Amino acid sequence: MKLITLDSVVPEIFAKRKDLRSDIWLAPVTFERGKRYLVEAASGSGKSSLCSFLYGQRGDYRGRISFDGDDISRFGRGRWCDVRRRELSMLFQELRLFPELTAWENVQIKNRIENTQSDSTIESWFEALGIADKRKARVALMSYGQQQRVALMRALCQPFDFLLLDEPVSHLDEENGRLMCEIILQEASRRGAGIISTSIGRHLDMEYDKVLSL
Amino acid sequence: MNLIWKLLRRHISVGQLAGFFLADLVGTVIVLCGIQIYSDMAPMLSGSYGLLGNDYIVISKPVKQLGSLMGRSAAHFSESDIDDLKAQPFARNVGEFRSSQYGVYLGLPGVFATDMFFESVPDRFIDVTTDEWRFDLSKRDIPIILPRNYLNLYNFGFAQTKGLPQLSEGVSQSISFDIELSGSGRTEHFKGHVAGFSDRLNTVLVPESFMEWANDRFAPSKSALASRLIVEVENPADESIAAYLQQRGYEVENNAADNSKIGFLLKIVVSVVMAIGLIISLLAIYILTLSIYLLLQKNTDKLENLSLLGYSARRIAAPYSRLTVTLNVAIMLLAISAVYFVREAYMTRVAATLGGASQTGFLPTIIAGALLTAVVVTFDSIVIRRKINSIASKR
Repeated sequence: MKLITLDSVVPEIFAKRKDLRSDIWLAPVTFERGKRYLVEAASGSGKSSLCSFLYGQRGDYRGRISFDGDDISRFGRGRWCDVRRRELSMLFQELRLFPELTAWENVQIKNRIENTQSDSTIESWFEALGIADKRKARVALMSYGQQQRVALMRALCQPFDFLLLDEPVSHLDEENGRLMCEIILQEASRRGAGIISTSIGRHLDMEYDKVLSL
Repeated sequence: MNLIWKLLRRHISVGQLAGFFLADLVGTVIVLCGIQIYSDMAPMLSGSYGLLGNDYIVISKPVKQLGSLMGRSAAHFSESDIDDLKAQPFARNVGEFRSSQYGVYLGLPGVFATDMFFESVPDRFIDVTTDEWRFDLSKRDIPIILPRNYLNLYNFGFAQTKGLPQLSEGVSQSISFDIELSGSGRTEHFKGHVAGFSDRLNTVLVPESFMEWANDRFAPSKSALASRLIVEVENPADESIAAYLQQRGYEVENNAADNSKIGFLLKIVVSVVMAIGLIISLLAIYILTLSIYLLLQKNTDKLENLSLLGYSARRIAAPYSRLTVTLNVAIMLLAISAVYFVREAYMTRVAATLGGASQTGFLPTIIAGALLTAVVVTFDSIVIRRKINSIASKR
């Protein structure tokens, strides 16, 4: 997938609002593979809605979203399954980890779908992010910041053309945010993938090709 | 361990599954027992393996007093009666009994002499195979087939009281009788001998060709209506035979139609037993379906997350499908072995009492069991897939 285009897209609940000032809603937007985008948003401006629309979780919007020209509202289950395995990776704001599995298992449950990363690579991430000792700990027993790092590693365990990051550093200190940023840039540039990151305050510290305000 | 299984096995209720397992096992054993018992018993009532070997039944109309007093031939079968019978699906062949319309006088010189009668049926209904079953006018010798019990009547009743020698079948066939036929103003003398003994036909039989010739010669003006009919049936255990005879008011010689009645009863009993087994099984399958539904409902979040991670519904369903397949196959294997032992137990008794082994073997149970498992597993898979799809496609 090379292009994600939004054409006059607006969430149903905003459709009747007259005072909408946004770089994204009701505007023509194009995300290109290989480029980095930051979507800055105030709380309640529909940031999570945007991610849900792009990831096929929700369809309550007007307008048209297309991947390489294909209208995603026509995608069936099988197509979404393929998109989520190989084209689009998502770091959920609510993480969506499995609390009863260990940190290692949470990463592997994704990695085993396409066998993308070697065990040693994942181990090196655990080391780099400072949670090597938590590999066998159940996720339920970890802090939110630690969970956020596990969720990021999971998001990198698949092939992707775009990486969607929904508030990736909300619970991380600067140092951990920097470490995370390094790994993300490394994996994204290895694949030539685009990055779409959202933020309501703190954001990943990297050079963005474009900053859009929602 | 498989991570998906590790994740999804949570909330599995061992109690519910054990309940399903036991209930379905009981239901399945009952259903399969019904099928096996029916397939073992039905052949015993029908066909040449029959307990009584009754592929043939002899039927007559009841003799009504008034009709016979007034000399009407009310007890004869009309053309339409016979055509109607021939059209019945259970009837393979229908043959008419012809009786002699002339006087028959049979004797053994110096021993006994008696008034007699002859009857004939088409040759293919006769259970005696002999080369002598031919009437040759030039030899003037009539072959006769007697019911086997006539020989017993003679040996144990007549011969002893009259001080006559008892006869074996072989000896009796070598005796030559004097036969006198009279009618239409003429009397002619013939020889006769016993050509064989029949277990099927309870009458004094002569070849049909002779009967036609003799009726023509000695009673040309009388029409020989069929007094009795012999019917070769497809399956003596067919309950429609008893129903037809009942409806037409025909009478049956011996207890030949009993197989049909027993067959009907067997079907009813087996149907009731199988229905009970089926109801138990259906309830059990309902428990399993509910239990899995509940399991899926409790795991909704996990199923949704797996779907968002890119797991297909098929892969998410796999552990549940595997669970149901394992349970159902285990139940079927246990049920089939249970039926095997049940069958061993009753077949030794059946063989000891009735003799003869079943021709069908154990195959019906295995086929029915495999079919039943396939149906249940398919049903469960569909239910699971639909539920998972409804969870995964929340948009």
